[in-house]
Amino acid sequence: MKTQENHNFRVGTILSYILFLGWTLLTILPLFWMAYSSFKSNEELTRDIYAFPKDLFENVDDEYVVIAPSLNLMMPKEVRSATSEYLIIESTSIAPNRLLMVHYLPKKDLDPHVAQRKTGDKIYVNELPRRLQRQVNRTTIWFNYTSAFRRGALGGKFLNSILYASVSTFLMVFFSLMIGYAVSKFPFKKLSAVVMGLIGVGYLISTNSVIIPLFLMLSNLSLTDTHVGIILVYTAFGIPMSVLLASQFIRGLPDSLIESAEIDGAGMFRAFRSIIIPMTVPVIITISIINALGIWNEFLLVLVLASKEITKSLPVGVYSFSSLTSTQLGWQLAALVIATLPTMLVYFSFNRRITRGVVAGAVKG
Amino acid sequence: MNPRDKRKLLGYAGFIAPGLAIYLFIVAYPVIYSIGLSFTDYNPNRGGEWSFVGLLQYKTMFSNPMFWHSLKNNMIVVAVSAFGQIPIGFALAYILYRGLVKGRDFFQSMVFLPQFLSPIVIGILFRKLVGADGPVSRLLQLMSGDPGKQFTLMLKSGTVMLPIAFALLWMYTGFYMVIFLANLQKIDSHVIEAAKIDGASETQIFGRVIVPMLSGTILVTTILAIAGSLKGFDLIFAITTEGLQRNNAMVLPIFMYQTAFQDYTNTMRFAFGSAISNAIVVISVALIGVANAVAKRFNAGEIG
Repeated sequence: MKTQENHNFRVGTILSYILFLGWTLLTILPLFWMAYSSFKSNEELTRDIYAFPKDLFENVDDEYVVIAPSLNLMMPKEVRSATSEYLIIESTSIAPNRLLMVHYLPKKDLDPHVAQRKTGDKIYVNELPRRLQRQVNRTTIWFNYTSAFRRGALGGKFLNSILYASVSTFLMVFFSLMIGYAVSKFPFKKLSAVVMGLIGVGYLISTNSVIIPLFLMLSNLSLTDTHVGIILVYTAFGIPMSVLLASQFIRGLPDSLIESAEIDGAGMFRAFRSIIIPMTVPVIITISIINALGIWNEFLLVLVLASKEITKSLPVGVYSFSSLTSTQLGWQLAALVIATLPTMLVYFSFNRRITRGVVAGAVKG
Repeated sequence: MNPRDKRKLLGYAGFIAPGLAIYLFIVAYPVIYSIGLSFTDYNPNRGGEWSFVGLLQYKTMFSNPMFWHSLKNNMIVVAVSAFGQIPIGFALAYILYRGLVKGRDFFQSMVFLPQFLSPIVIGILFRKLVGADGPVSRLLQLMSGDPGKQFTLMLKSGTVMLPIAFALLWMYTGFYMVIFLANLQKIDSHVIEAAKIDGASETQIFGRVIVPMLSGTILVTTILAIAGSLKGFDLIFAITTEGLQRNNAMVLPIFMYQTAFQDYTNTMRFAFGSAISNAIVVISVALIGVANAVAKRFNAGEIG
């Protein structure tokens, strides 16, 4: 009997390990593939979809060809104004003939016999001076990333995402703490019940379900395509969960603290600023991280409300970039990494806190 | 009311007002707006001219085969959540709770990770993974030895929901695992000890002690799964390519989006789209009602 049980237990343990290791691998492998493949050229990806990146790193002997300046080139400003002073070369192995992998070499820095080469002549990276070799090396390695940033204009969208996530989260947390303080520490129980009831309904409503009226309302107010409009919506939709978590936490704070502050002559606003806010720091951090991650990943709202590049966020930018450059897998994977890396960093740095916050937010709702 | 109370009420209002105002304006008012809009023929191509048309939009919706197709796919998504993510999440949580594997924190954070990645990014990534000559096709080629083999489940309307179901399990199972684990940890370990002393086997402990104690959690997670599955947009939007494939995998939120924001020739697009949005909310509430009723019956059975 006893051995039978031990045996069962051991089988259970082994199966459990297989299950968890398998699941973990299944989670990691697609992300790992995405990460290392984002450093592969398209030619490499076509050749072998699984191999580790090589071409972009081992580029010292790469062959290039001198090309004539043309309007299709995305030339830097200083090159455009004086094309004759630069030797424009294109790789013959990475995206050849597509004017994508191009370097601009200042002729004055080159050996005279190299600088004299004409359109169509071959040129090798190891013929360049050390400094230029290093520069070519660097741009080649980061080729997919710079292409994604420049051609998908992801830099501005990255900043927009940071702006939306930070400002909306700040406002939402601030307003929610105020409401949370009012409903849990003021003697107006009935009024507070009404307020909490109203806000509780919001728990069932997502931006997705009211996106049409939101679009019409904000159009009428000329708030579509503005940062203010988008921030306003994110702030409002974060309020239900934040108020719930904040009021629960503040209710748990001893009344005596606030009373003693009020006897001291501190007004309720000072009590809020100097007692409530400092004591709710843990819950503030939790609410902030979870909401900021949610806003960072949100898609539909910005897709609908932002038609101009200047207000688009990273997910929308990455999505349209991936539909526009369907043949450039390497660039797309780089764009995916750009959108994912910040959330992964935040997730792994605040893992426990995030887990606890999600549980509190979900179960109480 | 004495001046002190008056001042207090004023302060109270001051704390509540900013947050409540923005909430009522942006979250609550659109709900009413949406209901109203769905009973009109609001025409955005004519500067928002409208008249009351009764149930016209709902009639059009019910007679549109795409609505029923989307609803069917949405029900598949709900089923994947309720009968896939929740039981698997529960099982994973139980394994961690009983300490069958070491490194609980590590495994928990790994399985939970996808929840925090952008569904758009994951959708695009999975689209690349299962695309023509993508990694999954390549794996099939290597395993079968047939260099022409391709992963074709995404291409047929009958099977497109299978890879999507996999992606859904991949992304959200960790969420349910974390919820269950947190609630398992609240269970007093003495209860399990007592059951053991009474001679209960592992399966009996699980079925007769653990599951009944977590019935509330099962209900809450089911409600979250239903609500989340019906409003889910991003993952399916990004994992499919526009056109036939997306139509095959159509769900109500995408149907709503395409109707309202891409079908420019339809003069009633916003009104019709609102009808779809409202249908999503009504269906969620109805399903949540069913879940509640089922839970009640089960609990009644336990007591009786």
